[in-house]
Amino acid sequence: MSTTLEETPLEKKAPLLGLSKPWRMALYAFAGLVVLSLIRVITGANDLTSAGTVNAAVMLAVPIGLAGLGGLWSERAGVVNIGLEGMMILGSFGAGWIGWQHGAWAGVLMAIAFGVIGGLVHAVATVTFGVDHVVSGVAINILGLGATQYLAGELLADSPGGGETQSPPNSGLPKPSIPGLSGLLEPLESKHWFLLSDIAGILRGLFTNVSLLTIVAILLVVLTYVLLWQTPFGLRLRSVGEDPHAAESLGVKVRLYKYYAVAVSGGLAGLAGGFLAIVASNLYREGQTGGRGYIGLAAMIFGNWRPGGLMMGAGLFGYTDAMQLRNAVAVHALLLVVFALLLGLTVLNLYRRRWISAGVGLVFAVLSLIWYLNTDELPGPITTMTPYVTTLLVLSLAAQSLRMPKASGQVYRPEGK
Amino acid sequence: MKPESESAGVPAVELKGITKRFPGVVANRDVNLRVMPGTVHAVVGENGAGKSTLMKTLYGMHKPDEGTITLNGEQVVLHNPSDAIARGVGMVHQHFMLADNLTVLENIVLGAEPKRWGGFGLNRAAARTRIREIGKQYGLEVDPDVLVENLGVGDRQRVEIIKVLYRGARVLVLDEPTAVLVPQEVDALFEALQVLKAQGLSIIFISHKLDEVRSVADDITVIRRGTTVATADPKTVSSRQLAELMVGSELPSPQTSESTVTDRPVLEMKHVELVKDGRHLLRDVTLTIHAGEVLGLAGVEGNGQAELVESIMGMRTVDGGTITLAAENITTWTTRRRREAGIGYIPEDRHRHGLILDAPLWENRVLGHQTRHPNTSGPLVNRAGARADTERIVGEYDVRTPSIDVLASSLSGGNQQKLIVGREMSGNPKLLIAAHPTRGVDVGAQAAIWDLLRNARAEGLAVLLISADLDELIGLSDSLTVILRGELVAQVDPSTVTPEQLGSAMTGAGEAA
Repeated sequence: MSTTLEETPLEKKAPLLGLSKPWRMALYAFAGLVVLSLIRVITGANDLTSAGTVNAAVMLAVPIGLAGLGGLWSERAGVVNIGLEGMMILGSFGAGWIGWQHGAWAGVLMAIAFGVIGGLVHAVATVTFGVDHVVSGVAINILGLGATQYLAGELLADSPGGGETQSPPNSGLPKPSIPGLSGLLEPLESKHWFLLSDIAGILRGLFTNVSLLTIVAILLVVLTYVLLWQTPFGLRLRSVGEDPHAAESLGVKVRLYKYYAVAVSGGLAGLAGGFLAIVASNLYREGQTGGRGYIGLAAMIFGNWRPGGLMMGAGLFGYTDAMQLRNAVAVHALLLVVFALLLGLTVLNLYRRRWISAGVGLVFAVLSLIWYLNTDELPGPITTMTPYVTTLLVLSLAAQSLRMPKASGQVYRPEGK
Repeated sequence: MKPESESAGVPAVELKGITKRFPGVVANRDVNLRVMPGTVHAVVGENGAGKSTLMKTLYGMHKPDEGTITLNGEQVVLHNPSDAIARGVGMVHQHFMLADNLTVLENIVLGAEPKRWGGFGLNRAAARTRIREIGKQYGLEVDPDVLVENLGVGDRQRVEIIKVLYRGARVLVLDEPTAVLVPQEVDALFEALQVLKAQGLSIIFISHKLDEVRSVADDITVIRRGTTVATADPKTVSSRQLAELMVGSELPSPQTSESTVTDRPVLEMKHVELVKDGRHLLRDVTLTIHAGEVLGLAGVEGNGQAELVESIMGMRTVDGGTITLAAENITTWTTRRRREAGIGYIPEDRHRHGLILDAPLWENRVLGHQTRHPNTSGPLVNRAGARADTERIVGEYDVRTPSIDVLASSLSGGNQQKLIVGREMSGNPKLLIAAHPTRGVDVGAQAAIWDLLRNARAEGLAVLLISADLDELIGLSDSLTVILRGELVAQVDPSTVTPEQLGSAMTGAGEAA
C-alpha cells in the first residue's frame, strides 16, 4: 500500500554511540585512516598514504567530482544526465582550443561555455520535447565525441604543436602551496611511523601544489550545498525533482528550473573537462576524458545525491586511480584493505542478521586474503582496472540505502496539456 | 481581501454560467455557484459529474470557455494557480500534492518562501514560527521538520490545509477530502473546518458522501452531468433526496439478500506470518472463507491488506503458516499454479496490476489465463478463442466499449473494472479476491459490480472483499474481520455493526461491537 501509517513510522536506526552525523563521519574517516596505516606498516607499501599519492588522488578526484556535481544538479531537478561524458569532452576541447591562444583562464571559461551548450541541448531534448533522458544523454555522448573530432580537424590541425587529435599546450594555472608546510612535514613523513607519518603525508599531499582550479572546485561543492539546500531557488529546484506536479500547483515554473539545472550541470561537466586539459595535463587530447563522466555519475550515486557524499565518492575513485597509476605494489596492498573492509562489513551484516550478505562478504574477504598472501603483485591489466572495479563494488554495496530524487528520469508534462 | 465586504453580504465566490469544453466532451455547462463568507458550501455529484473540472477552473488551472468568476464582488480572470493563490483561493487536492522526500516545512513554503541574506537565502526559522502560529490559530498542529513520507494520511491533509492557509487563502477548496480518511480522522477534519469557518473563511467542500455533507455543510449545490441542477438546505434535505438529485434516479445499495454461506471451507490460512526487515507485515493470520461466503476485511490502508492478498496470490512467500485452497496445501505454489487452481483476483490498482493499458481488450483477456482454454491451443495463443471469449465477457458483464480491439486505456474506470471482473470470473474460480472493487468507478458501474459480486457468492464462490468504503464492506459481507498492523484483531457482525464502530476498531481506538 502506498500510504504510511502514523502507528508505524519508518524505523530509525539508533545512531552509533549516540553521535551526531558529522562526528560519526569523522569517526569513520579516522577508523579508515587507522586501518590504512596499519596495513601500510604491515605491508611496507609506503605509497598508500604518501604525499605524492594524495596529491595525485586530488588531481584525479577533481574532474570526477565536478562531473558528479553536474549530475547532482541535473538529477535534483529530475533530469538524468548520462550525457556528462559528452559535455566533458566538449569542455576539454573548448579549454584546449582557447587555452593555448588566450591563456588558461580563458580556456576555463570556454570549457564551461561548451559544457553549457551540451547541457542546453540535453535540456531542449528532455524538457521541451520529452525525449527519454537516457536516450538523449547517450546521443549527447556520441555527439560530443563526433563534434570535437570534427572541430579538432578544422581548428587544430594546422596549429603549432597541435594536430587532428590534440591541441597545442597551454600555459596552465598556478599551483600554490602553504609556505613552509612541506619542509615541516616531510621529515615526519619519511620516518614511516604508525599514524603520525600517515597524517603528515596526507596533509602534505593536500596542501602543496594545489591548483587554483582545485580550490574553485571545492568552493563549487560548498556553493552547491548552499544554493540547493539553503535558498528558495534550491528548494524550488529540488521540489521539481521530487514532485513536479506539486511544485507546479504552487506556481513553480517547473520547466524553467529544469533548464537552469541542466545548464548548470553542463557547465560543471564542461569545467571537469577543462580541468583535464588545463590542470591534469596541459593540452586537449582525443579520448582524454576516459569515461570519467560515468564515474562522476557513480560518485554522485555513491554520495546519495548529496554534495558531501559525492566528494567522498570522488575522493575514493581518485585515490584508487592514483594508486594504480603510481605504484603496482601499493595496489597489491589494497587487496588487504579490501579484506579488512569486507570483514568489517561481514561483522555489520551479522549484527543486523543479514545472513546471506554476511556469508557472501566473508567468502570474498577470505578470497582476497588468500590472493594477497599467494602473490607479490597484481597482473598489469587488473591494476589498471582498480578504479572501475572499485566503482562497481562500492555501488553494489551502497545501493541498498540510497535514495534518488523521486521524479528523476521521468518526463514531465504539465497538468492538463 | 477586504474584511468589510465579508460582512456586507457579498459572496466570497460567485461563478456564473461557467462552461468548459474539452475535445469531444463538455465537462461543465452553465454552472452557477454562490459561496458566502464564513460558510461551508458543499458541491455534490457523482464521479465524472464535473466537480473537479469546475474546481480546477476556480483554481486557475484552466480557463473557462464561457462564464465569469467573481471573488468578493470583483470579477477576475485567473490565468494560472498563482493568480488564484494571490487572490486568496487555495486548493487541497484529492491526491495530495506533497513531495515525500521534503520536510513539512519545505512543502509548505515552496513557492512562497520567507527570505534572508538579502532575499537570497531561505529563512527556515521564520517559516517555522509562521507554521506554528497557523497551527495554534486554527488548531492544525504538525511538526514542521519531519519528512512528509513519515506522516499518516490525516497529517498529510493537515499539511495541505496549512499550505493554503500559509499563502493567506480566504477560500479553501477541498476536493473529496474524506475519501482517504477513517471516520475518526473525518471528525478531526470537520472540527478544523468549524474553526476555519468561525474565523470568516469560506470552504468549498466537494464530496459524494451525503451523510458527511449534510453534517458539515451550510449550503449544498448539486452537480449532475456537468451542470448545477439544484441547491439544497442541509437542515431539511434527506440523504435520499440528495442522492436522487445527484443520480437523477434511485440510488443503488450494497445490501445482499439471504445468506448463501455453506460449511465447505475454500480458503484456509493458518498462522500465516510475513516478516520483512525484522518487522511483521502479517502476524499469526488465521482465517477461513467458506463457499458462498463473502469475508470482508476492514482496515486502514497499509495495515497488511495488500500483503495478505499478495500472500494468497503467491506474489510474496510467507515466512510461516499454511495456506490451503479447497483442501490442498498451496503454500509453496507459484502464482500461476494458484490461479489455475481457481483463484480469481481483482487487484487494488487496476492500472498497475490488473491491466496492460496499452494493449487491446482481448489481449488483456488472455492475461493471467495465458495457459488455459480458450486462450491457447498448445503452446500458441488461440486468437480466435480469446477474441470470442472477450466478446462473451463484454456482452455478459456489460462492458461498454466500441470493440474488443480498442486499448484498455480508452475505457472508463468502471468498464475496465467490469472487464477484469469478467476475466477473473471465467475459468471456474473457487475463490475471488476483490480488492477495492468499486474504487474510482461511478455509481452505475458500482451497482453493476456489486451485482456481480453477489452473483459470484450465489454461485458458491468464496469471496475475500477488501474495501475502504465501509458501507460497501458492511453491506456485502457475510462476516467481517478487522486487520490492524498485520494482525486480525477483531471479528464483527456486519448485520449489527455501524460504520463508526467499525472505524474505531480499524484504528484500534476501541473494542468493536
